[in-house]
Parts: sequence; C-alpha cells; structure tokens
Amino acid sequence: MDPLAPLRTVGGRLASPAEALAQAIAERVVGLVVGALDLNALLAEIDLNALLAEIDLNAVLAEVDLGQVLDRIDVNQVLDQVQLDSLLARIDLNSVMDRVDVNRLLATVDLNRLLSTVDVTALIGRVDVDQVLQQVDVNEVIGKVDLDAVIDRVDMNAVVQRIDLEALVEQTDLGSIIAKSSGGMASDLVDAVRSRTVGVDESIARWVARLRRRPYPGPPGPPAGLRAAS
Amino acid sequence: MTARTGEVRPFEPPPAARESLQGRYAGFASRFAAFAVDLVVLTAIFLLVLAAINFAASVLTGNSVHFNRANTWVVVAYAVWAFIYFAHFWGLNGKTPGGGLFGVQVVTNDGDDVSGRRAIGRTLAFPLSFLILCLGFLGILLGDQRRALHDVIAGTTVIYCWDARAARLRMLSRPRYSTPHAPPESHSLPGSPSQADPPR
Repeated sequence: MDPLAPLRTVGGRLASPAEALAQAIAERVVGLVVGALDLNALLAEIDLNALLAEIDLNAVLAEVDLGQVLDRIDVNQVLDQVQLDSLLARIDLNSVMDRVDVNRLLATVDLNRLLSTVDVTALIGRVDVDQVLQQVDVNEVIGKVDLDAVIDRVDMNAVVQRIDLEALVEQTDLGSIIAKSSGGMASDLVDAVRSRTVGVDESIARWVARLRRRPYPGPPGPPAGLRAAS
Repeated sequence: MTARTGEVRPFEPPPAARESLQGRYAGFASRFAAFAVDLVVLTAIFLLVLAAINFAASVLTGNSVHFNRANTWVVVAYAVWAFIYFAHFWGLNGKTPGGGLFGVQVVTNDGDDVSGRRAIGRTLAFPLSFLILCLGFLGILLGDQRRALHDVIAGTTVIYCWDARAARLRMLSRPRYSTPHAPPESHSLPGSPSQADPPR
C-alpha cells in the first residue's frame, strides 16, 4: 500500500475549494488595486505618441488578415451610418481635384469598357434636351463649323439624284418658273422632235439587240474624254 | 392620244429622256434625220442660188439659163457645195443645221471638238459609206460606239448634244401638263401604250 495515498486523497478533496478561494482572493485584490488607481491619471502619464512610435504598425498590420476582418464587417451598415453630405461638406474638393492629375487618371481608364457598361439610352432619357439646348448658343456653334469643309464632304450629285425633279416641277411653282424662262413654241417643237427621234433610236437599238440576242442597257457612251471631263 | 376633254395631248418624251443623253452616242434615226434635213437645206440653198443665177442672167443678157441634172457642171457644183456645207459646219462646231435640229454633234473619238482637217477628211470619206451599198452605215447599228465607216476613217463619232432630261422637265412644266382635266402620263412605265401613241 502506498503510504502517500491518504495524502493524495485529501489533496484531491481540497483542490477545488482552494482554487475557488484563490480566485476570489485574487479578484478582491485586483478590485482593491484598481480602485486605488487613477487610470486617467495613469494614462495621462503615458506618452501615447512615443508609444505608437515604438510600435511597428506595418509589421502589426502585416500580421492582420484584413480580408477576414473586412468579411466580418457589414459595409453597407457602416455606410448607412455615415453622413456623406456632412463628410463631403468638410472636404475641399477643389483642392483635392487640384492635386489630381486627371489626364493620368483617365489614361488608366478603359473608356470603352466603361462605356459598354453604361446604358446610354437610359442616360439620354434622363436628359432634358430642351433645357440643354436653351443653354447652347447655336449661332456660336455654327460659327465654329467649317461649312466649306462640311460641304466638301457632301456628295451633291448623290443628293440631287435623290430629288424627284419631275414631281418637283409638276407640283410646285418651279414648273411655271421654268416655263416662263424657257423658250416658247419653237423650243417645244424642237424638244418634241428630238425626243421623238431618240425614241426611234432606242426602238431600233432594242430591235437590233434582240436580233443579236444581246441585252440592251441603254444608249452607249459617252466617249472617254467626255466621261473624264464630267 | 386625246384627253377626255377632247384636248390634244402634247407629245410624250420617250423613257430614255428620263436621263440626260448628253454625250452619249447618237442613234441611227437621229443621224439619218439630221442628214435628211441637211440634204434638204443644202439642196434648197443650191436651187435658190441657181434660180438667182438664172434670174441675173435673164436680166443681164435677156436669155434665161436652164439648169438640169444632166448638166455635168451642175452635178460638180452641187458636189462641191455639199462638200463645203458639211466640211464647214463639222469643222465649225461639229453641228450642221440638221444636226443642230436633232441635237447631234460630230466629235473626235475622245470627245474633243473636230478640227478643220479632220472635218475635211470626214467629208471626203462620207461618200464611201454610200458607195459600198450603204454597208458603211452598219457600224451605227452594230457597233458599240455607233460609228459609221467614215467615222472610223476620220477618227470621229457622233453624240447627242442636248439635255434630254432638261427638255423633259421643260415639257412637264408647261401648264397643259398640269391641268386637272388632262393629267400628265409622264410617269407611265417605259413601253406603255401611251408612249406609242403619236400626237394628232
């Protein structure tokens, strides 16, 4: 039989009460000490700036898993509590913008990608065009336009080709103007004779083309020199 | 073609006149008609000159001079006069009176004005197209550039020199085309019956 066994048994029985007693004593002592200390006075004695200077914040932050921290933060809730208006009111945006190199900033922006995400139609729908136009000095804008350059880029022949001249002559006063400015009966007679003869020309040409079993696209020509001149 | 009101309907321009024919190669009918008019004009002038000579001779000598086609001098004079007539007008601006009436003009192959020398060459070559049984004119019907034999020899061609589209617009601008009782049929399709009806 182990001679120390009775002692171990007694020790086991006394361990729990002793631990509880020790904890109670410690709490009491700490309470007494803290109560005796003036923490504010104590903190006032500490040079926090010197203390912070001693701390290697970068090393501390390097140890922190910011991702995990941010995951635990409800950003929306935080932002809800922030009064952006008052915050922005305290910021001198002009001075901030003065320090920003906008060109350099824009150079890093993929504008095409940015614009592809913009619903231009909806954006334009929100614009009051009338109000915008009221602020525009149209005369000044037109004054800046090089009309000659614009006209040079316009294919006037194509524009004229799109005009139904026959309808224009028949349905407007242009017809009477032409009638007054052009010749009389003799001119009409010459036009009629020429037109009739051209009609016969075309009939003969079509007839010959049919005999030769060839398509007839219309009167041939003009000669190369006239084509170049026109 | 008569309108419902009984009004005589003016001539309808052919479909080809919807575009300006200016510069395009002239067809057979226009060239033949121009030549026929020239023939009438130069013959009329020649007969007038002969009549004037006859009148002057009768006044001066008291005897009238009778010209007829059997007279060699008359034939030679007529040929010379025809040569001068055509060479002069073709060399002047490429247009004889007949050509001017039907809107055709003689130009070089490149479309330039005909020089006096080229006009003389064309006039001299012109009879050849007749002398080979008029086969010299086949090129007008069959050729891409509508050139007759004398055109090929002289290096010329004949083009329309009038703006058919402008003429068409002038016609359409006449009041008779815009009267409600006689509506214009200028917009009728090519080959429609109205275009084949001759004016009365």
